[in-house]
Amino acid sequence: MKLPLRLFAALALALAGHASAQELLKINGSTTVNLAAAEAAEQLRAEKGMKIQIDSQGGSSGGVSSCGDGLAQIGMLSKPLTDEDRAKYPKVNFVVTQVGADAVAMIVSKDVWDGGVRSLSRKQMQDIYEGRAKNWKDVGGHDQRIVFFNKEPGRGTWETFASWAYGNPKKAPEANFPEVGANEEARNKVATTRGAMSQLSASWADGKTVFALALRDDDGKIWESTPENIVSGKYGMARPLNLITNGEPTGAAKEFIAYMLGERGAVIMKKNGYMTPKELGLPGAK
Amino acid sequence: MPVAPPVLFAAPRTRWGITRLSAYAFSSLAIGAVILMVTLFVIQSWPLWKHAGWGFLTEPRWFFRRQAFGSLAMIYGTFVVSLVALAVALPLGVGSAVFASEYLPPRGRLAVKVIIELLAGIPSVVYGLLGILFLRNWVYGALKPFDPASGDTLLTAGLLLGVMVLPTIMTLSDDALHGVPQAQRAAARGLGLTRTETVFAVSLPQARPGIIAATLLGLGRALGETIAVFLVVGRQDNQFPANVFSLRPWIESGQTLTSKLGSSEINLAYGAPLHWAAMIALGLLLLAIVGACSVIADLLRHRRSA
Repeated sequence: MKLPLRLFAALALALAGHASAQELLKINGSTTVNLAAAEAAEQLRAEKGMKIQIDSQGGSSGGVSSCGDGLAQIGMLSKPLTDEDRAKYPKVNFVVTQVGADAVAMIVSKDVWDGGVRSLSRKQMQDIYEGRAKNWKDVGGHDQRIVFFNKEPGRGTWETFASWAYGNPKKAPEANFPEVGANEEARNKVATTRGAMSQLSASWADGKTVFALALRDDDGKIWESTPENIVSGKYGMARPLNLITNGEPTGAAKEFIAYMLGERGAVIMKKNGYMTPKELGLPGAK
Repeated sequence: MPVAPPVLFAAPRTRWGITRLSAYAFSSLAIGAVILMVTLFVIQSWPLWKHAGWGFLTEPRWFFRRQAFGSLAMIYGTFVVSLVALAVALPLGVGSAVFASEYLPPRGRLAVKVIIELLAGIPSVVYGLLGILFLRNWVYGALKPFDPASGDTLLTAGLLLGVMVLPTIMTLSDDALHGVPQAQRAAARGLGLTRTETVFAVSLPQARPGIIAATLLGLGRALGETIAVFLVVGRQDNQFPANVFSLRPWIESGQTLTSKLGSSEINLAYGAPLHWAAMIALGLLLLAIVGACSVIADLLRHRRSA
């Protein structure tokens, strides 16, 4: 069944090999990781003359499939690599390197924020997701219909959300909402719609057009997505930013991953509002 | 004794001259590619047909985690979006074709044609981004009395598509009108008909098969367009209304066959045989619908010129 795609993959790689003597490094996956990785790629192109092609097709699941199919040497994932992901590619030996961490936040439009909603509990989130709460006044806000833009399943953001709300993405109930894909789309649509909410990387909440809600735990304590709360695990929707390769990274891929773990990589991570490898105490971090 | 003229270029003696041979070779290559593609789609979607049968076409519910694969809500979405697109593009397209071909001097006609054809050269992702930036906010504001949830609606996608298929309909209708012999118009004018009466009594009826073909080709483009629709349709599953004649669902989010195929779900489906088969079946369905439009349009165009 996978044969035709495999053939295309082989063909694409063969063509790429002929196109340049120098190794072309192809990276694909999560838009969240892409933000930092594209910046690193830009620096490596300029300073070391490396040939890097970086894209964010299909989010994290796109990262898994393009790495699994050999269409890219590095896949970008804004979620852990699951056993399910591995099971889809039994012949591929995925090696995961974490290069940072990020928090997912429930973001809301300005009218909701001004209406007084500043945090949500897991119960309230489930009520909204399962259609029991349809108005912001049901969760302590103003009288306005809740317009929930659900992040597409298959996106790292969605899986992080579902893991928090239901313990496991597979346990998430059947839901019917308009869907959003890339982070830009989610932010734009929430910003321009009354009563809107969506799941989005917390670093994208600018506090002017879209606002990040804090999470209220079962004891009623409120946790914001600060670095301390992410490291301590108190903030429930944190997630790793991963780079995956087929086998131990070699050549250009190895160089790229080392760069992301290094000091320059940390500066880029910080600038994008992510946790740096050092802050997380990751192996190989400088 | 008559002498045969010297032969400079021998006419092909065999039935299988090089031109004829290559024409056959390339045609069969093209036909082979189509057959191969359809076969591949049928084989890959086979598990779905075994699992869901006709329910795939008649069930509105799609929820891949429960292995529920019904495409009716997407067929409905595709239909509504295309209908809106045609409602926008048909009067505008045929109207400007009449204007360009019947009223303007040849140079003016070309100018109008070139400008409208330029619309066809804009990449669809640009239309999609313009849709996100302006159209969805405009629709959201204009529909405020009806309280839509957001600006991502079937109507928004249809309006955007209308602009996108306008060049196809306009330029092909214009060609059809231009093909109506000038003598017929002259005869009509000679009988005392005004210019406008001539358009309605002679040009439009004569060009009708061509205009219908233009509409069907425009429809084919509307049905197949992905990215622009994807960005403004809302991509909400299972939006099949209880009353299919109700207009309310038009101003709600929906899903089309193409917006589903363009989503990240294809990555999840990959490696899960039944889910993958369902996605491929959506592709096959789309192929069948667009293919039917093109074939009917081609038949109409050829009948006219024959």
